[in-house]
Amino acid sequence: MEKSITIHINNKPYTVDSGQTIMQAADKLGFHIPRLCYHPKLSIEGACRVCIVEVEGMKNYVASCSFPVNDGMKIHTNTTELRRARRDIVELILDNHPLDCHTCDRNGTCELQRLSYSMGIKARHFEGERKHYDEDLSSRAVVRNPNKCILCGRCVRICSEVQNVHNLSQAHRGFRTVVMPAYNMPFSESVCTACGQCINVCPTAAFVEKSYTQELFEQLNDPNLIKVVQFAPSVRAAIGEAFGLEPGHNMEGQLVAALRKLGFDYVFDTQFSADLTIMEEASEFLERIQNKGVLPMITSCSSAWMKCMEQFYPDLIDNVSTCKSPMSMNGAMIKSYFTEKIQVDPKKILSVAVMCCTAKKYEADRPELMFDDLRGVDIVVTTREAAWMIKSAGIDFLKIQPEKVDAPLGLSSGAGAIFGATGGVMEAAIRTAYELYTGETLVDIELGGIRGLKGIKEASLEMDGREIRVAVAHGLGNACNLLDLVRKDPGRYHFIEIMGCPGGCVGGGGQPYAGANSIPLDEEALQKRAKALYDLDRGKTIRRSHENPDIQKLYREFLQRPLSPTSHKYLHTHYQAKLPRGIIPDKAIF
Amino acid sequence: MRAKSILTLCDGPTCIHKNSRVIREALEAEICKHGLSEEVGIHLSGCLGMCSKGPILIINPGYTIYGGITVEDIPEIVQEHLVHRQPVARLVVQEDHLYNRFFRIFGDVDFFGRQMRIALRNCGIIDPESIDDYLSVRGYEALAKVLTGMSPREVIAEVKKAGLRGRGGAGFPTGLKWDITARETSDEKYVICNADEGDPGAFMDRSAIEGDPHTVLEGITIGGYAIGAVKGIVYIRAEYPLAIKRLEKAIAAARENGLLGNNILGSNFSFDIEIRLGAGAFVCGEETALIHSIEGRRGMPTPRPPYPSVKGLFGKPTLINNVETWANIPVIILDGGEWFSTVGTETSKGTKVFALAGKVHNTGLIEVPMGTTLREIIYDIGGGIPDGKKFKAVQTGGPSGGCLPEDYLDTQIDYESLAAAGSIMGSGGMIVIDEDSCMVNLAKFFLEFTQDESCGKCTPCRGGTKRMLEILTRITEGNGKEGDIEKLERLGNMIRKASLCGLGQSAPNPVLSTLKNFRHEYEEHIYQKKCRAGICSNLVTYEITEKCIGCGACRRVCPVNAIAGKRQEQHVINQETCIKCGQCFTTCKFDAIVKA
Amino acid sequence: MVTPLDIIKKKRAEAVARIIGRGYLSTKRVYVGMATCEIAAGSKEVMEVFRQAISNGGLTDVYLSQKGCAGRCNLEPTVEIVEEGNIPVKYGKVNPERARQIIEHHLKNNEVIEEWLI
Ligand SMILES: Cc1cc2nc3c(=O)[nH]c(=O)nc-3n(C[C@H](O)[C@H](O)[C@H](O)COP(=O)(O)O)c2cc1C
Ligand code: SF4
Ligand code: SF4
Ligand code: SF4
Ligand code: FES
Repeated sequence: MEKSITIHINNKPYTVDSGQTIMQAADKLGFHIPRLCYHPKLSIEGACRVCIVEVEGMKNYVASCSFPVNDGMKIHTNTTELRRARRDIVELILDNHPLDCHTCDRNGTCELQRLSYSMGIKARHFEGERKHYDEDLSSRAVVRNPNKCILCGRCVRICSEVQNVHNLSQAHRGFRTVVMPAYNMPFSESVCTACGQCINVCPTAAFVEKSYTQELFEQLNDPNLIKVVQFAPSVRAAIGEAFGLEPGHNMEGQLVAALRKLGFDYVFDTQFSADLTIMEEASEFLERIQNKGVLPMITSCSSAWMKCMEQFYPDLIDNVSTCKSPMSMNGAMIKSYFTEKIQVDPKKILSVAVMCCTAKKYEADRPELMFDDLRGVDIVVTTREAAWMIKSAGIDFLKIQPEKVDAPLGLSSGAGAIFGATGGVMEAAIRTAYELYTGETLVDIELGGIRGLKGIKEASLEMDGREIRVAVAHGLGNACNLLDLVRKDPGRYHFIEIMGCPGGCVGGGGQPYAGANSIPLDEEALQKRAKALYDLDRGKTIRRSHENPDIQKLYREFLQRPLSPTSHKYLHTHYQAKLPRGIIPDKAIF
Repeated sequence: MRAKSILTLCDGPTCIHKNSRVIREALEAEICKHGLSEEVGIHLSGCLGMCSKGPILIINPGYTIYGGITVEDIPEIVQEHLVHRQPVARLVVQEDHLYNRFFRIFGDVDFFGRQMRIALRNCGIIDPESIDDYLSVRGYEALAKVLTGMSPREVIAEVKKAGLRGRGGAGFPTGLKWDITARETSDEKYVICNADEGDPGAFMDRSAIEGDPHTVLEGITIGGYAIGAVKGIVYIRAEYPLAIKRLEKAIAAARENGLLGNNILGSNFSFDIEIRLGAGAFVCGEETALIHSIEGRRGMPTPRPPYPSVKGLFGKPTLINNVETWANIPVIILDGGEWFSTVGTETSKGTKVFALAGKVHNTGLIEVPMGTTLREIIYDIGGGIPDGKKFKAVQTGGPSGGCLPEDYLDTQIDYESLAAAGSIMGSGGMIVIDEDSCMVNLAKFFLEFTQDESCGKCTPCRGGTKRMLEILTRITEGNGKEGDIEKLERLGNMIRKASLCGLGQSAPNPVLSTLKNFRHEYEEHIYQKKCRAGICSNLVTYEITEKCIGCGACRRVCPVNAIAGKRQEQHVINQETCIKCGQCFTTCKFDAIVKA
Repeated sequence: MVTPLDIIKKKRAEAVARIIGRGYLSTKRVYVGMATCEIAAGSKEVMEVFRQAISNGGLTDVYLSQKGCAGRCNLEPTVEIVEEGNIPVKYGKVNPERARQIIEHHLKNNEVIEEWLI
């Protein structure tokens, strides 16, 4: 029961609601108490102790992120003693930190940097031994560098609480405490799904993506290669933030122009292959419905989900769509359809993907996706890396003249655009499946019920008198909850969309870091990014994948029809159960 | 000659007030008159807990309790009881209390005379593996009493009346904690007995369980009844195999006798107890970390509130108390909260168990009423400092307690007085330190432990104790710098006030208290490069005096050949080469080598 | 109605009867400290000596039992001998050899070995 109470902050009375923490109350009153381990999406850790305040009558300082307000409480946030204690705490963190800011990946976006600046640390008092660990470079996607870790525990919490992967934990004690996967396994062998959420929430560079920018710059300078790039829907909705814009600007035109300026010969759009995915996936769904195939069918676009499923839900392998992700479909088309068209050897192609996602780096390497001994995508860079490359190449991103994507793998419908937000794939698939199944056009194409940031969303619709129940989950934790339902009640749904990241691709592990006045994975920012995509959809005349003329042409000229043998060769894949190492398997499943 | 009779005269404040000291003189005179001085021993005890009937005199063998005696009664008592071995019936007090039973059978009065045993009342008396033994000393009667005619609220009221406070360290009022947990509405609640006992050198809880496991089980079951729980858990460290075995045996026997399980003693109260093993991390004794450990997660503390009484094990209201706290419960129920509250001081009621260790004659496990002074414990029970050495300090409260010098010897044992003196009650470690110890080195030793056992979660404790330890290390190695003392104080005060859990909040205590009470030793180390106790090897120099007869023994043992000298001539140590290992010092048979 | 208190009193009476049945009323009762600390100091071996002495018939009218730690850490293992009407005596630092002596002198011949007493 919330009621109004009076608290005093720095000797001034304020009326606030009970039932909140000191930090929450102070935030609303315009007092930003410094903080580090706190994250609104995660459980309260209380680890950093940067957020301490003085409360009259209490002998110790109080961590404002965890302590509730009481009526009559007298709080001080800036006494001399408190400022000194807080500064000493931040100093203790710095004393065990490499202090190589000018060459660090997070230079300028690091929360520790901002915090220590705001503490006014001028002299150093307590320097001593520092930790030394090797970087873990084993994963294609995620680099772990414990030397930079300040043990805020955010990564541990997001990986367990939001993603339900439980790959990370603190190990050892005291000064030797370090965050690592079970048994200190290399990341590549751990249960990490490469979702990159630990990167998103880490305040420092203790988790970063494995960067391919130098390699890419080198290859862009190779005259013997034809450089082709595609970019994901939600990259355009977020990349502006890396250049100081507010979230929610659609920077598609600028991005296309910048990628050309970087040296790409062809700029394609993953939204095109999102349309292609819909063609295949909707057809696969209808086939399962009509031929009593395995239901519910579960989407397969999210690479982190792919790994999660193979490790933790191998019993559901047959439920997962065999469609490759839009990125891999595009890659496959680049190195087959497109190379045939321009008559070059696919081996001469450098196929690059700019993705909002770190797991796509892992996906690009999956042997199951190969065709004709080729990988569809050679290099994946994240939104962040792309932004850095644009800056590093001296391209004035904000002033640049917008340009259009290239044919034949660029034109997209509105359905392709909304792939980037949770629920978008389902919405796009229904737009097409409905028409394929009933022969009628779905009029009310915006499915409000499966939009938005609710963890698990459900909807049902009728197709020719038949009830189709669908569900959408974003973030692997929500996905696991949903799939646990499915395990218990397999008949509950027909079609399920799963995205590995909170909010879908807009909240991907490769998106720009939060700015100085914002927090990672801020819900408002995610919603704004999603809105940019929904606006893009609304602004298009073609909003259904099957109406995309270049898709129709692709089928005419190359693939024949959805689920044809050619489609299967290039656009479909398979999965393998992976026994998670270090975890005792559930006998019932394996 | 061994005494044939032992007279125990209560020397508690009330009895003194009621003339016990005069009675004592009269007794001694009377005994002398009968020529019995040889075969009768007179001992004084601390408060025996029977104040209302005082002055109290107990005569053993037989455990006859005389109450309300006056000087005029003395001749009769001596004549009848000591000479004719006939108790004086009109003065005998009939008491069937649970505490202090040891007076019936222990002959060892020097050690036990000043003690008062409530929690450990059966330890060393009954066979811990026999439920019959426990039943025979009114075991499970408290539980039966509660189930026969007390409502949960009445039980809680009794515990509140007793004024019992948690013996696990923090001293939180037990009745209040029960009350809060009882008031929570929840489909499930848990009761936990904290037997992690991570303090190095502490063995109070282990002994209590090994010596009398049923008492603890009975206490837990009563707690379960009071708060409405159906399940109790004893969290005990795996390094205590015998205690675990006895607990298991006791639980099995209790189940067999209908004292655990469904419908206990025919009532409609059902309750069972399980054992969970801890891996022996110090921090896992902290209640939130302990709960995480039981849940199968990493044993790391989490911020409170929410307190376990509201949101504990598996998110359910959980009552967690220390072994010793639980062991007091049956006594409070049977002897009454009111009686219990007469023992101890204004704010701290009952007794406290201590593991007395270090430089005292009698090391061991003792239980004394709150309010007993450090001096009484160290000199009366502990028998003073051996080898004619001088007392230097006493460290209470385990590795995170403080060191108190001689000026504090008259400090009374209770939560507030110890805190005011700059130490803590903790879980009951008590280490006596003599002049041979270096206080800087000692502080370093304790900090090494807490630094190592820090769970690593919060910055002040993880990083701060490490830096403090680095500073202490350099001071003891002779590399102390100006400003180091101030840095230690600055860090220590910050860590104490900013850490997440009690481990960090108390870890600087040994350093801060020695800085306060033995600052000169720090200064000597830093500025004069001197360790007065000769412990910090880098600060010691060995020199050979004219007592040297030139035997060459030292020259031969020196591992770095730092000693030179001709046969039968005085040898010399090359101070540059010497690594201060002290081998020469121990080897010389003629006391010719001195430490400075 | 039978209350829990009635039940427990009955149980106690039964327990006492069983203890007496095990020889509690013998002239001498011998208690050997058997806590972790005592066992570490060697009390198991001491216990064994007493047990043997009783089982081979050499020692009669003695009730043997174990007990927990009474706190005298520096003098362990401890053995206590109780005889109704007398002040109990406690031996410290008992080893098997001392135990045999205690059996011979104290238990069989009522000669207390003063120098080993606590
Ligand atoms: C680092 C640390 C270690 C602790 N270890 C123990 C312990 O070993 N046993 C114990 O009973 N309480 C221990 N405590 C105290 C518990 O957190 C808790 O206060 C206690 O179990 C509550 O029981 P009480 O109210 O009966 O004292 C420890 C606390 C801290 C901070
Ligand atoms: S990338 Fe995702 S799954 Fe892997 S450790 Fe980070 S949060 Fe966990
Ligand atoms: S890796 Fe980053 S997020 Fe994880 S604990 Fe360390 S600093 Fe925090
Ligand atoms: S004070 Fe120490 S032990 Fe307690 S939470 Fe912090 S780091 Fe862990
Ligand atoms: S933000 Fe409160 S302790 Fe870290």
